[in-house]
Amino acid sequence: MDTARGTRAGIGFAVGAVLGVVLFASGQAWPLAAAVGAIAADLVYALLDRMQTGSWGSLRVAIGLVAFAVATYVGIIAFGNFGDPNAVDPNTFANTKAANSWALILTVAMVIGAVVTFGLELLQTGRLDSLARQFTTRTYLLMAVGIGVNVILGQTVASALKIPIYLDSIGTILVGVLCGPIAGALTGGLGNVLWSYVIPPPFQYQPAAAFAITAVAIGVIAGFAGRAGFLRPRPNRSTGELLVGGGVTVGLVGGLGWAASVAYTRIFETDINLFPDPAKVDTLFLVLGYLALGLVALAVVGLFALLLVRRDLTAAYVVVAGVFTGIVAALISAPIAAGVFGGVTASGTDFLVAAFRQAGLDVQAATTGQGLISDPIDKVTTFFTVYLILGALANRFKARFPQGEQVLEEASA
Amino acid sequence: MLSLQRVTYHYAGSRAPSLHDVSLELGAGEVLGVVGASEAGKTTLCLVASGLAPRTVGGTLRGQLLLDGTDTVALPMHRLAERIGIVFANPANGLSGVAGTVYEEIAFGPMNLGLPREEVIARTEESLSTLGISGLAERDPSRLSGGQQQLVAIGGLLAMRPAHLVLDEPTAQLDPVGTRLVADALARLAAGGASILLTEHKTDLLAAICTRVIALEGGRVVLAGAAAEVLADPRLADLGVAAPASVRLLSAVREAALPASVLDRVQAALR
Amino acid sequence: MLAVALGGLAGPAVLVGIAVLLPALAGRILGRLLRTSLLLTMPIAISVLVVNLFFYPAGQQILFSVGPIRGTAEGLAFALETLARIGAISGAITLFYLTTTPSELVLDLERRGVSPRIAFVALASVQTVPAMVDRAATITAAQRARGLDTEGSLWRRLRGVLPLAGPVLLGSIAQVEERTMALESRAFTRPGRRTLLWHPPDSTLQRVARWVLVALLPGLFVARASGWL
Repeated sequence: MDTARGTRAGIGFAVGAVLGVVLFASGQAWPLAAAVGAIAADLVYALLDRMQTGSWGSLRVAIGLVAFAVATYVGIIAFGNFGDPNAVDPNTFANTKAANSWALILTVAMVIGAVVTFGLELLQTGRLDSLARQFTTRTYLLMAVGIGVNVILGQTVASALKIPIYLDSIGTILVGVLCGPIAGALTGGLGNVLWSYVIPPPFQYQPAAAFAITAVAIGVIAGFAGRAGFLRPRPNRSTGELLVGGGVTVGLVGGLGWAASVAYTRIFETDINLFPDPAKVDTLFLVLGYLALGLVALAVVGLFALLLVRRDLTAAYVVVAGVFTGIVAALISAPIAAGVFGGVTASGTDFLVAAFRQAGLDVQAATTGQGLISDPIDKVTTFFTVYLILGALANRFKARFPQGEQVLEEASA
Repeated sequence: MLSLQRVTYHYAGSRAPSLHDVSLELGAGEVLGVVGASEAGKTTLCLVASGLAPRTVGGTLRGQLLLDGTDTVALPMHRLAERIGIVFANPANGLSGVAGTVYEEIAFGPMNLGLPREEVIARTEESLSTLGISGLAERDPSRLSGGQQQLVAIGGLLAMRPAHLVLDEPTAQLDPVGTRLVADALARLAAGGASILLTEHKTDLLAAICTRVIALEGGRVVLAGAAAEVLADPRLADLGVAAPASVRLLSAVREAALPASVLDRVQAALR
Repeated sequence: MLAVALGGLAGPAVLVGIAVLLPALAGRILGRLLRTSLLLTMPIAISVLVVNLFFYPAGQQILFSVGPIRGTAEGLAFALETLARIGAISGAITLFYLTTTPSELVLDLERRGVSPRIAFVALASVQTVPAMVDRAATITAAQRARGLDTEGSLWRRLRGVLPLAGPVLLGSIAQVEERTMALESRAFTRPGRRTLLWHPPDSTLQRVARWVLVALLPGLFVARASGWL
């Protein structure tokens, strides 16, 4: 990132953080303060971008993000109390109404956000260049390959290997990073729908369509991450930079994880219990649970190895992107899994869900707990894999993609 | 008439030009062969001649690509696709990937052009019979041999009724049977008056069907002329190009200082 | 979707009967339908059964126990209910898959207005899956010829898969460049619709049936929400 852009991002982040803290100090709930802070940060960055470079792109996206947040908020309020005890089925503790409405609210809010962003562009320029630029012939072909990879890997992991990760987003994130947010979103959404209904067995996975909205979100996040240069190689950095990168990573990861769990607790008004009483839980599941946590540690350690051996600072960016995407994906998917499938999706994650439920949690909290463990691991692994794939491709090849320039190493100054 | 005039082309991010001041003309009914070592610019020449460079692959083009005298610089790729068709060395990459049968594969181009349904069907059938592959019409393209896939690729292009065909080493990845298939098809097309630009290492093939040949080295045209002359030129060896068998045989016979009658009979047989 | 709307066990069962099994009988694919559907739902069915039978929070009535794990009657009931729902969904999807090829579906959608480029992605994706599997098979065969061990324990096979993933994945991605050129030289980038050759048979009966089903759906949701069903 060039220094001007870095400064803008830094100022945005600072303003957002201050606003969030102020809101919290004045009595607002944590998740609301954090969300408002994040949106404010993006808005400030976009305004600075507009003032300094004269480009409207970031501002349009920021306004779209505000629209999305407002729509989601309105949806949640309008729906009513997600945590209403009367809406919970007393037999399963599954809040089906909340689950179905959640997916609906998010879908509608995303559409509103997109319409606002592109509507603004259409009004201002009369064309939809930012959309058209993402969709070249190359994009369509990469999308087809991406969907194929999603299906094959995802199906193999879901049915053959009973491990608590998914690995069904490698294609989505690859397309998002190389082609753009909408291309990534389309890869995810279309891919999941095809996976459920059109792809013939043995690769068919019928629950996939319900999670299409999650895949869309992942694609969007990957697109913006790619555009911001998150996956640009940064080898041979100084030890100081690497230490800062490592520290920032650990801090962000820890903070995000905690904030997300608190956010979930507040919205759904249930508790997440990550350390169930050993007396009440079968040892087998306790072991599996800690195995999953062990995988987390391993992934992070592996990436730190990348930091140290190749002195590649991008490892930190990969972890940040993966954790952020994972938490968002978990929060979106958990209610869907709980409401539509009772928490069971015929994959290795079922064991984790069972473990949580035995600890006395309802389906909702169980799937969230499982998601908050599985998703970040899965997404960090996926982002890392995409980074490795990009590393193996020729520069000339990558450059021809819409966002290809942003994954090439910066020419030495 | 397809013509390149003083074309200099750089790939994106590359300082050295891949083609330098290249000019050539391809008229109706002509078959132009291009020879040269690897990396001499043969593929780049094909990409420029078909319009893919710079439209699809980026880079900067100086000079002009003219079609019937008109500069094509303002034409988008899908318009050029109707006038110039290109076939690559790897047969699998030439398939659209969405056709279940050879019929649909060949119809892909005309369908994209939005032609009326009857027209699409007519052109597809015509392509199939021109290349003699009507028997393959219901087969799955991905299950064909390399040679057959190349024929399908050529058929798919013919269905678009281009004025010119560009082929970049179409037999490079084929076994002898496949090479024979493609060579025969190209010979038939050439005899039928098609306008073809053909890049090849297999100079025997070029000797059989080309009217003219040019040789490239380092992105420049170093030899140009009638096929028989250029292919018999001794400088070809320096350019890393193997002369056709007939040429080598003739020169061997000459060096052996055999009587002229033997020489004449060999020459007659090779014709 | 109708099955999810209908609560209880009876609802989905009846629905499966009408909407899925009858047409399957008419199309003479009942046997294939049942076999494929069962095969598909087996993993999820087992998971649902195990998770709910043993770990149902509100379970009181213990049926049997295996060590410290208890199976409850309520858990079984809930499991069966969920299974019925899943069965209905799975049956419908399987019927769909057995009677329609992917390309027919996508091309029909394109005829009704879906963008040709999206239709292309859908069709190409469906073809990519077997293509990649084929390529993996080719590479495996080549590796076997070079002496790599492909039989043996799961662990060994897993280790064998890893070096496979790289070439298959990277090979497919690298192909994108040349395939792009090939597509563009066949006027892929031409804006607007393209001509379609295939016309699906569509009778008035089918059209009427479609509209009736679509109209029924919101009605069912309302009925379920208001406590009727």
